[in-house]
Amino acid sequence: MNTTAKSRRTFLAGAAAVGAAAVTSGCVASSSSGGKGSSGGAVTLQSNLSAPQAKSAMKEVVDAFNKKGGATGSLNTVASETFRTQLPTYLTSANPPDLYTWYPGSVAESYAKKDLLLDVSDIWQKPELAGYSDAQKKLCTDSAGKKVFVPTTYYWWGVFYRKSHFAKWGVKEPKTWDEFLDLCDKLKSKGVAPIGLGAGGNTPWVASSWFDYLNIRINGAAYHRDLLAGKHRFDDPEVRKVFDRWSEALPYFDPNSTALPFQDATTALLQGRTGMMLIGTFFADATPKEQLGDIDFFRFPVIDPKVPLAEEAPTDGYFASARTGRKDETKELLRYLATAEAQEIYLKGSSGTSLPTHPDAKDSGTPLVIKGRKLIESAADITQFFNRDSSDALAPTADTALTRFLAKPKEIGSILTTWQRDAQKIWSQ
Amino acid sequence: MAVLTAPRKETREHTGHRPPARKRATRVPPVVLAFVLVPLLAEAFWVFWPALQGFYLAFTKWDGVSAPEFIGLGNFREMFGDAVFRTAALDTVIWLLLFGGLSAALGLGAALLLQQERRGVGFYRAALFLPVVFSLVATALVWQAMYQPDGLINKTLEAVGLSGLTHAWLADQDTALYAVIVPALWRQIGYVMVLYLAGLKGIDPVLYEAAKVDGATRWQQFRHITLPQLSSVNAVVLSVIVIDSLRSFDVVWALTRGGPYHSSELLSTYMYSTAFQSLRLGYGSALAVVIFLLAFGVIASYLVRAFREADA
Repeated sequence: MNTTAKSRRTFLAGAAAVGAAAVTSGCVASSSSGGKGSSGGAVTLQSNLSAPQAKSAMKEVVDAFNKKGGATGSLNTVASETFRTQLPTYLTSANPPDLYTWYPGSVAESYAKKDLLLDVSDIWQKPELAGYSDAQKKLCTDSAGKKVFVPTTYYWWGVFYRKSHFAKWGVKEPKTWDEFLDLCDKLKSKGVAPIGLGAGGNTPWVASSWFDYLNIRINGAAYHRDLLAGKHRFDDPEVRKVFDRWSEALPYFDPNSTALPFQDATTALLQGRTGMMLIGTFFADATPKEQLGDIDFFRFPVIDPKVPLAEEAPTDGYFASARTGRKDETKELLRYLATAEAQEIYLKGSSGTSLPTHPDAKDSGTPLVIKGRKLIESAADITQFFNRDSSDALAPTADTALTRFLAKPKEIGSILTTWQRDAQKIWSQ
Repeated sequence: MAVLTAPRKETREHTGHRPPARKRATRVPPVVLAFVLVPLLAEAFWVFWPALQGFYLAFTKWDGVSAPEFIGLGNFREMFGDAVFRTAALDTVIWLLLFGGLSAALGLGAALLLQQERRGVGFYRAALFLPVVFSLVATALVWQAMYQPDGLINKTLEAVGLSGLTHAWLADQDTALYAVIVPALWRQIGYVMVLYLAGLKGIDPVLYEAAKVDGATRWQQFRHITLPQLSSVNAVVLSVIVIDSLRSFDVVWALTRGGPYHSSELLSTYMYSTAFQSLRLGYGSALAVVIFLLAFGVIASYLVRAFREADA
């Protein structure tokens, strides 16, 4: 009995020790968050590229960097939505991940203003980034004049369709809004839902693409950017015009527009249940590679010929935490990511529908990519996307307003009033 | 504790140093102390402290990045004029009544039906309890597939000639909230059933025998024996239901995220989206405080009443 009691006591003491150790280690972890991040070791690259093709391509890039010797990187892929909501927490913690996939422009600026992003101006002097365009340089510079971002790829938005389906239905790419509505009519008469959307499930933000494009076609890119920066109101007559035009196209939207996420809407497009879809090339990451050859796109139709043709071409890349303890190693990885070699590895491994930012990097060279490059190069102005041109915090207000418009277009007056009120709360933060 | 102190006493007897009896009885062995203090420390550090911080944040304006700015009762004042808050509060009440009421009624019904040991009853009990085992997010994903426009529910409706009833269940503001309640209910019934089954097992069968001798009908037995005997279980069930209703989040978030346009918004989802999507953490904390006060208020008032009745 004595032995049993002893062994029980030993066990209890051991268990208490384990418990205490857990608490102490918790305290250690949290107390270390009071100081600067640790130095040395692999650079942690927090990535939101979780589609299977993009994820494996990212791994290949990091592996290639690790093989070079010198600093090493370790990839940590997080689901996109989790990444987005956690980003402020990552950046404000004292022991943060070092490097992040994210966006330049106003999204990066909001963090840069609060001194959360690493100043990487010196990298921009290095040969890897010497040939980058002035537009890219400007996009990656914060309001204080520091470079805080390294772009690696960009892509375009367009109205995508399957060539074989358009041939079967006997229809052609439209150029103007009227031609577009004619095309919708023809598709509808053939029993096809003309416009797929995919603003259901967890991707209501896709609806913002229609708002963005209609606004830059009707009111122009400058007005659009000002609106998203709080310099105009969402209940202005100019914004109302956007929804008047949208109402003309609304009868041609797939009835399941707000019931399916964009991935399912992509399947409907590939299977010919919907005719076309305004989307970014990232949808191809979830598309079987053998079907990519059959995919084509056209420029969002011209509504007012007097308005210069702007396109949505979001740039992707990396920024680093100002609190990283591995500044030199992080910059070394950033320099590598900016090289033509790293960008080509990524494009080969992923669906290859985006374009590299390095002038010497080869894109995948498919007719689709060549056409996409031409679209962006011929654009009079470039916008990013709703959340990138405004902020992550403003995006949910658009999701609510736009999905409500899709269901109840007649309530547009109250929708815009509410949108303005919700946006005001964010701008006044 | 008695078990733990026993061996210590025995050891001392062997050594011959016998401390006074009173002192011996009150001395708490360090291991036991550690078992109380270590979890308390952990709880204080990871639960109480953040909770207190949450109360403080409710009085601030904070974007999660800059320093919080104290604004007094500003967030609570804003709630009065916030239409989404009103929708979320109303939806939470509907949720509490429908989810809470139905899970209690159906859980009790299932327990009454399955309380007697009959052939195969174990299978039915297990079948009803099974959804409790699944993660609610996994449950939600299965139901999401069923609610899809070309999912099982619409396909079944079409197959039986009710294609007029087919619906984009989760994308329609008229049906979203109720469509989300179903999977939550599907899961909760099994849990409540188990609580009631345990309560039913505790009722003395002599009471029923006596009632039968007196010629009581089944309804009279239920009304005058089963229900009063279950009063202590009812307190547990009510607490569980109120807490579960007010913290219901995962199933709604996984299915609709409170949408379309806030039609299935609960206080919990509104709190999350305000705090972590719109990055208004001060207002989000104020919503969390409201949820806490509601849960605490409902449960405390019920318990006070229950104790009064017990004392009377």
